[in-house]
Amino acid sequence: MKPLNLITGETVGILLFFIGLYGLMTKKTIVKTIMSMSIMQAGIYLFYITINYSPDTVPPIGQSREAAFADPVPSALMITAIVIGIGVTAIGLTMFMHYKQQHGITHWSRNRNQQGSEH
Amino acid sequence: MLYLLVIGPILAGILSIIFIKNDTRLFIILSQVLLFILSIAVFLEVRTRGIIYSYMSNLPDSIAITLMADNISSMFILLTSTIFLMMVIYSYKKDFFTSQFGFLLLVLQGLVSALFLSTDLFNLFIMLEVSTVTVSILIMINKEKQAIYDGMIYFFVNVIGTSFLLFGIGMIYRTTGLLDMRAVQEVLPQLDSPAAVYLPFALMMTTLSLKTAVVPLFSWLPKAHGTPSAPPVVSALLSGLFIKTGVYMFIRFTAMFGPVINIREVFLVIGVITSVFGFVMALGQNDIKMILAYSTVSQIGLIMIGLNMGSDIAFWGSLFHVFSHAIFKSTLFLAAGQVYEQYGTRDIRFIRGLFKTMPLTAIAILLGILGVTGAPLFNGSISKYMISYGSYRPTIQFALNLINLGTITYFLKFGTILLGKDSRTEEAKKVKPDLISEILVFVMGIFIFLTGIFGQFTIDVLFDFQVEIFSGEYFEKGLVYVLMIIAGLGFYNGVIKKGGFLDRVSHIEMTFNAIITSMTGFFIFITAYLYFFV
Repeated sequence: MKPLNLITGETVGILLFFIGLYGLMTKKTIVKTIMSMSIMQAGIYLFYITINYSPDTVPPIGQSREAAFADPVPSALMITAIVIGIGVTAIGLTMFMHYKQQHGITHWSRNRNQQGSEH
Repeated sequence: MLYLLVIGPILAGILSIIFIKNDTRLFIILSQVLLFILSIAVFLEVRTRGIIYSYMSNLPDSIAITLMADNISSMFILLTSTIFLMMVIYSYKKDFFTSQFGFLLLVLQGLVSALFLSTDLFNLFIMLEVSTVTVSILIMINKEKQAIYDGMIYFFVNVIGTSFLLFGIGMIYRTTGLLDMRAVQEVLPQLDSPAAVYLPFALMMTTLSLKTAVVPLFSWLPKAHGTPSAPPVVSALLSGLFIKTGVYMFIRFTAMFGPVINIREVFLVIGVITSVFGFVMALGQNDIKMILAYSTVSQIGLIMIGLNMGSDIAFWGSLFHVFSHAIFKSTLFLAAGQVYEQYGTRDIRFIRGLFKTMPLTAIAILLGILGVTGAPLFNGSISKYMISYGSYRPTIQFALNLINLGTITYFLKFGTILLGKDSRTEEAKKVKPDLISEILVFVMGIFIFLTGIFGQFTIDVLFDFQVEIFSGEYFEKGLVYVLMIIAGLGFYNGVIKKGGFLDRVSHIEMTFNAIITSMTGFFIFITAYLYFFV
């Protein structure tokens, strides 16, 4: 097998997923957490849109050529997932911005009690 | 009819926030009452006519997005609407019940109902994601520093956990070309080798274990459920009901993979470890909310033990434990909220003499404690009895008794708030408890007792499962319970009061990175187990 054949959407997607996971495991900055989360999700999107795809297929609508249809379901799912991903990233960033402006903290702390309130 | 359960609360929430300018509380309570009636209707129809399906846009089965109400999910739906109704009545006179809060509660109800009804995998992913957002906003609704930090941890951990599920769904779709759980369950046995679904199984189980908060993925739970400034209603909802979505999905997903993968014993062991860990952590806490939160971890472990024993009676027993845990844990959380309002502190060492100051709440707490520790004739005892009936292996019996001893011990610690002398100044005592919530907490406490004493009947109605409970063996367990209390008293006075080791253990906390690392570790463990030991 040529090395080029290994570089498909699926393998790259899986790789991106674990790169994102590595970032989440090691980075203590909250912004980097959000970025790693986005990388992880990008990996999943890439994985989805390349599964069950073969080059000689055509889109299911608006085609005159007689050929096998490409599976539209993964792309439809990913449109939804991308929208949700945007929402989640935006909410995460909003929480982080509020937290930083109010309390000036940009890192995940080591101990909850050190910076907790007096309860 | 099933769509109404999902879309109804969300629509009511939107209407309430758009059209009602001042006070949305009565409207929300009214819509809750209507939803409660609807869920009873669905429940009765499932019992009399069997499973209800409803297909989106009338497409054929296994292609359409399907909502399904069967024996189990109709019970969960009934539980959902009951708990939500109780919550809105409790918070009627509280100042945190703003129109935004009501809106979020209604949206959450719709999402939770959808989680219990949907059989479409991608639909489940979306509901999990959106409910994560809703819950994290509810946790940080007071915008207090600690609450925002806890809410952020909850939010990020759960979003990352859910992306594991999404990845798993992608792999399932690649292998089978299907997204409907029932359809996937049918085609999985036709696979050449079960190894094709090992990876998606491990990915999905990581998410579900995170959602059910088993060891080692539990550490977001005490943070989220025990957030000091979150309203008691939020804690009660999360601990009583929302955590059960994870349990429910665990049941569905293990059934889906059932034909090809069966690693019950792993989850049995995980359940035991979770349960023991939960009570060890609970023993060292001094915050009443944190004790209750770790108690949830412990009880979820017990539910996992029952689900994975592989015996019918233990399975239904742990479903009944889901029900009874929902009732007594939300009672205890609401009562804890009342106590905080009255005393202005959550520290268990400064609250005394509850029977004198707020007798109704105190009785409710007492009933709740009797329920959770499994006193004879209370609902907790019946579910625990059924779970212990599922296996005669001595190790399991020993573990169950140990867990019960632990539960009794930390609730003895919790119970110290009931007695003693109220040491506050006269001025501090003047806070008047609000009567509606006081009565509601009391009614819920009575409900714990009623579902216990009519336990056989309740199980028959809820699950359509006939079981003989009040036998000689059951009352022998009652004797064991009394012995356990004596042992617990000794244990409490001799060991726990001195603090020391347990105190240090209970303050161990995981950082955010450690939580994610343990999630990855769990995923690698399940994958490795499947490839090398199955």
